[in-house]
Amino acid sequence: MSLHPANLLIPLMVIIPLTCALLLNVLHGKDRTVKIISVVVALALPVLPLLAGYGTQYFGGYVPLAQNSAIASGLPTSITGSALSLFHPAITYFFGSGQKLMLFILGVVALFSIFASLYEVKRPSGVYTYLLFMLAASIAALILTDDIFNLYVFFEIAALTQVGIILVSRVKGNYETALKYMILGGIASPMLLIGIALLLGVTGNVNITDIAYSIKTGLVNPNSSVLLMACGLITFGWLYGAGLPPFHSIKSAVYSKALPNGAAMLQAFSVFMFVALGIIILRIFGYLPFTKVFIIGISLLAMVLSITMAITQTDFKRIIAYLAVGELGYIGIGLGLGTVAGITAGLFQAVNEVVITAFLFLGFGTVLYKTRQSDIRKLGGMMFESPKSAFLVLLAGFAMAGVPPLNAFQSKLMLIQATLKAGIPELGVIMILLSIVTFMTFMKAFYAIYLRSKPKDLKILEKKIPRVTMVAMVAFLVICITFGVFPQLAIGYLQPLAAGLV
Amino acid sequence: MIEYILMITAIGGAIIALIQRDLLKAAILTAIPGTSLAFLYQYLMAPDVALTQAIVGSAIVPVFIALAVKKTRRTDEPSESEESGGR
Amino acid sequence: MIMDTQSASLLTASSLIIIGIFGTVFLDNLIKKVIALGFVGDGANLFLIAMGYKAGGIVYIFMPGMSRDWFAQNASYPLPFALVLTSIVIGASTMAVMLGIIIVLYKRHGSISASKLLGDGNNGK
Repeated sequence: MSLHPANLLIPLMVIIPLTCALLLNVLHGKDRTVKIISVVVALALPVLPLLAGYGTQYFGGYVPLAQNSAIASGLPTSITGSALSLFHPAITYFFGSGQKLMLFILGVVALFSIFASLYEVKRPSGVYTYLLFMLAASIAALILTDDIFNLYVFFEIAALTQVGIILVSRVKGNYETALKYMILGGIASPMLLIGIALLLGVTGNVNITDIAYSIKTGLVNPNSSVLLMACGLITFGWLYGAGLPPFHSIKSAVYSKALPNGAAMLQAFSVFMFVALGIIILRIFGYLPFTKVFIIGISLLAMVLSITMAITQTDFKRIIAYLAVGELGYIGIGLGLGTVAGITAGLFQAVNEVVITAFLFLGFGTVLYKTRQSDIRKLGGMMFESPKSAFLVLLAGFAMAGVPPLNAFQSKLMLIQATLKAGIPELGVIMILLSIVTFMTFMKAFYAIYLRSKPKDLKILEKKIPRVTMVAMVAFLVICITFGVFPQLAIGYLQPLAAGLV
Repeated sequence: MIEYILMITAIGGAIIALIQRDLLKAAILTAIPGTSLAFLYQYLMAPDVALTQAIVGSAIVPVFIALAVKKTRRTDEPSESEESGGR
Repeated sequence: MIMDTQSASLLTASSLIIIGIFGTVFLDNLIKKVIALGFVGDGANLFLIAMGYKAGGIVYIFMPGMSRDWFAQNASYPLPFALVLTSIVIGASTMAVMLGIIIVLYKRHGSISASKLLGDGNNGK
């Protein structure tokens, strides 16, 4: 048994926010206590992954037989000599360098999202903080888990939490959107479950490492039609979970119905779901020739559809929501290339994506905070009201479009280099074009909100933007610049994960 | 033999529940597939799942739906969207 | 019998899923949509259970007096059953949340018709 003390921290990254969420429910009404606990636990979220050592956590201590000589010695060689001795008998969490970076970024986003909610909402002991902690815990589990059914369970929890976050936001039309999302989910998640069932039926396993091993070593027939069907169903669940077409429209509606700090977490959920299940699809079904082609195709479709939809919107929350969904496509292209450089670039783009979208959602959230208005036709002149946040939002837009000193420039550059190296330069051209369109769409919204003169009937509330929100935006900017100037900092963590997938 | 009857009642119950006009009847009829599935699980050698399904499928879910029907309206709406359907 | 129990169960599962999807797409009443979604979930659960079934086998509980080898050869595969337990509970809770939303929507708009509530105008534009 591997009981390195630092390894105990691996399950704690899920357990601590989960326990905190449940505890907050019990403490309902005691605002001071709730605030203190939330602050402490939120601060722990980004710190835990930094402290934890790399390793594997076997729940219940059930290690594979090959590592457990006490039990293995009493068994016949027909078991110990076969693949059975390598299989994982319990739920396994794997924590490597890639997971470390992703969990750290998730922790930072969750930290500021929770802080912003604590200070913007008058009564912190509501259900909202609980939902944010629950979502943070489930996303952490999605990243860590090596067990496809465990992933499904936490995905369901995260999807329910997502619905909860929309429901408490009091944005007009939130209940309708929530119900629509749940009805779609009611069809899509059983499909994902059946895909998992088929995999289980063919390989007798739910552990991803074991399934990939069985397929690779020919324990099961890799070309069996059941596996193809499982691939299709799991990919369908992936489309739903990450909000790729045909679900991009509902996903962006979901973002725009949430509060800005909640939307930041929701985008983190989509991105990490995209990455987690995308990696699983690559690991299990990477040998099928059309998997990668399909991933690239659907990513292109997501980019084109969402960005063109973004142009036509007049609600700035919808605009950012569509842009955020469109940015997912860049990650998908990186994953779909299937080369080490491509996957690294895709993962790097994913990490950047989470930070930048959180940055943008919080930034535009300040406009909503001061005017209670999200229609860009009725807004204007906000530059003079809050010049500091206007500047920060502009930088966030630059980061999203990929302007040089910021992080997305590095990841998009890497993506384009990877497409060139893979011999598909057309993809690079399309990505550059779409980047330009993204930037134009963003500038259109930015101009309408901040630069043009203020409409007469626009009322600006006499509320100061909470300092926490400004601190959060500055912190996100610092991360953007750090990764932009020193991309090796992130790539060094992500490359081992990517190299393990090829 | 019994398991085949259970399968048929499960499918039939599902169809009958969905074609009811009275929603309260539909809610109660939901228990038929739920219960048949519970017995079927027992025949498929999953006694623990059968216990859970017996409680959830034959009691909790119908009661939830019946409560929702009680809080909303009892019949299908006599609306013009009868044939348009869809979402 | 024409079919063995396992194939028949799989057929039942797929029929339930098809009935469910059909109902979800073509029924206008939201509560009926939710009932139909429940059938989709039930079908998926039955599918998993049928995966673990072993014809002529025994229940996967190790009783005193059984030899280990005999148990290993005859017991049905317990892993899918453990998964279904989780899945049933998830399905029930999802359904409860959906019904709650429907009740709120009815109080606001006085209707439980999908085409009225979720139709084009309410897309959140």
